[in-house]
Amino acid sequence: MLNLRAAIWGLACACLLGIGVPRHAVAEVIGTGEFLAMAERDAQIAVVEAALARTEVQSQLERLGVGIDQALERVAALSQAELAALAGNIEEMPAGSGALAVIGVVFLVLVILEVVGVIDVFKGI
Amino acid sequence: MQEGGPELPASFSPPENVPFFPQSAYQCGPAALATVLVHSGANSDPETLVDQVWIPGRRGSLQLELLAATRRAGRIPWVLPEDPAAIWQELGAGNPVLVLQDLGIGPFRRWHYAVVVDYDPDGDRVILRSGTRKAQRERLSLFQRSWSRGGNWGVVVHRPGELPASAEPAGYVRTLTGAGEVMPAAALAPAWAAAAERWPEDFLVLFGAANAALERGDLAPAEYWYRRLLALGEEPALVHNNLANLLLARNCPAEALRHAHAAADALVPGTPWREAVERTRARAEAAMGASLAADCPPAPAPDG
Repeated sequence: MLNLRAAIWGLACACLLGIGVPRHAVAEVIGTGEFLAMAERDAQIAVVEAALARTEVQSQLERLGVGIDQALERVAALSQAELAALAGNIEEMPAGSGALAVIGVVFLVLVILEVVGVIDVFKGI
Repeated sequence: MQEGGPELPASFSPPENVPFFPQSAYQCGPAALATVLVHSGANSDPETLVDQVWIPGRRGSLQLELLAATRRAGRIPWVLPEDPAAIWQELGAGNPVLVLQDLGIGPFRRWHYAVVVDYDPDGDRVILRSGTRKAQRERLSLFQRSWSRGGNWGVVVHRPGELPASAEPAGYVRTLTGAGEVMPAAALAPAWAAAAERWPEDFLVLFGAANAALERGDLAPAEYWYRRLLALGEEPALVHNNLANLLLARNCPAEALRHAHAAADALVPGTPWREAVERTRARAEAAMGASLAADCPPAPAPDG
C-alpha cells in the first residue's frame, strides 16, 4: 500500500515537472549560451597563446624544461575557471611599451607553470 | 554644448516625468532602482524593492542584485558599455541612467546609487535624483570623478521590445541570454524580435533570436531566422543542426535529415558540437524510418 502510494506520488511529481520543461528544448539543439561560452573560451585561449608566443617567455619556459607544445596542450585541457583565471592574470599584467619587464616575464612564466600544473609556487602564499 | 562639455548626441531630448523617491537611511539602491523602473512603466516602489536588493549587514545593495530585481520586475537591464559617450546617448534618447558613485574622499569609500536625469550646459551641471534631493546639480567634472571611482557603472532599464540607445549586438545578445535564464521566454520574445530587426545581418543576434523562438515553440519565426542565417553563411554546422531539430518538430523528416547531414559535413574539427550533431542525425534517421509524411514547404516570413 505504501509502495503504491509512493508510486502514485512519484508519477504525479513527474507529471508536474514535465509541465515546466519547454517542449523543444532538446539536447540536440545548440544553445546561444553554449555558443557564447565557447567563443569566450576561444578568446581566452588566444590571450594565453599570445603570451606563450613571446620569445622571452618561450626561452624562460625552455630553460625550465617545459616545451611550448606541452604548455599549449595543457592550456587546452584547462577547465573554464582555470582558463579564465589564467587569461585574467595575463591581461592584468603591466603591458609595458616594448618588451615586457624582466620581472613581468618571470611572473608570467610562473603563472603559466602554476596553472598548467608543472609547479606549485603559489600554494604557500 | 560648451567647450569641455560631454559629447552630447545631435538630438538630445532628456527623459521626462522621472519619478522621485527620496531615500530612507542608506537605502539609495532601492530608491534609485524604483526611479528607473517606474519611469519604464513597471509597477514598483522602494519599499517592495528593499526586500529584494537591500542587504542590512552591508547597509547597501549589490549591483548584481539591482540587475536581478530589474528582471523580476519584467524589465531588461542594460549595463552601459565602456564608451564614455554611452551615458549621454542614453540620456539624449530619454532614458534615465542609474549610476554607481563613490562619494568618498581619498582612500575612504562611500558608495552611492543615484539616477542621472539631465545635463545642463548652463554651468556644466549633471542633474540627478540623488538621496533626498529631487534635482541635485553636480559639476560635470565632479560627477565624472565620483562615477569613475565607481567603475563608470551605469544601467538603463527598458521593456522587452525597446532597445537601449547604446546597445551593440554582441552585448545585447549576452544581456538577453542572461535575462532568458530567469524571465519567461514569452516575455522576452519582443526583445529578440526587436534585436533581429535592428541588426538583421548579425550572426549572434539572429542565432539567439532563432534559438529563443525554437525553445518557446514559436517555430515560424525561428525557421525564418535560421534560413536567413544559412544565407549569411556563418557557423553553418550550428545553424543546419538547429534547423534540422526544428524541422523534426514540424514533422518534416526528409528535409531535417538533409540539414543534419549538412551540419555533420560543416563541422569544424576541434569544436565541441560533434555530439549534438550526431544525436540530431540519429533522431532524423529514426524519424525518417518512422514517418510517411511528405516533405514540407519552408515557413513564411513572420509578420512585421
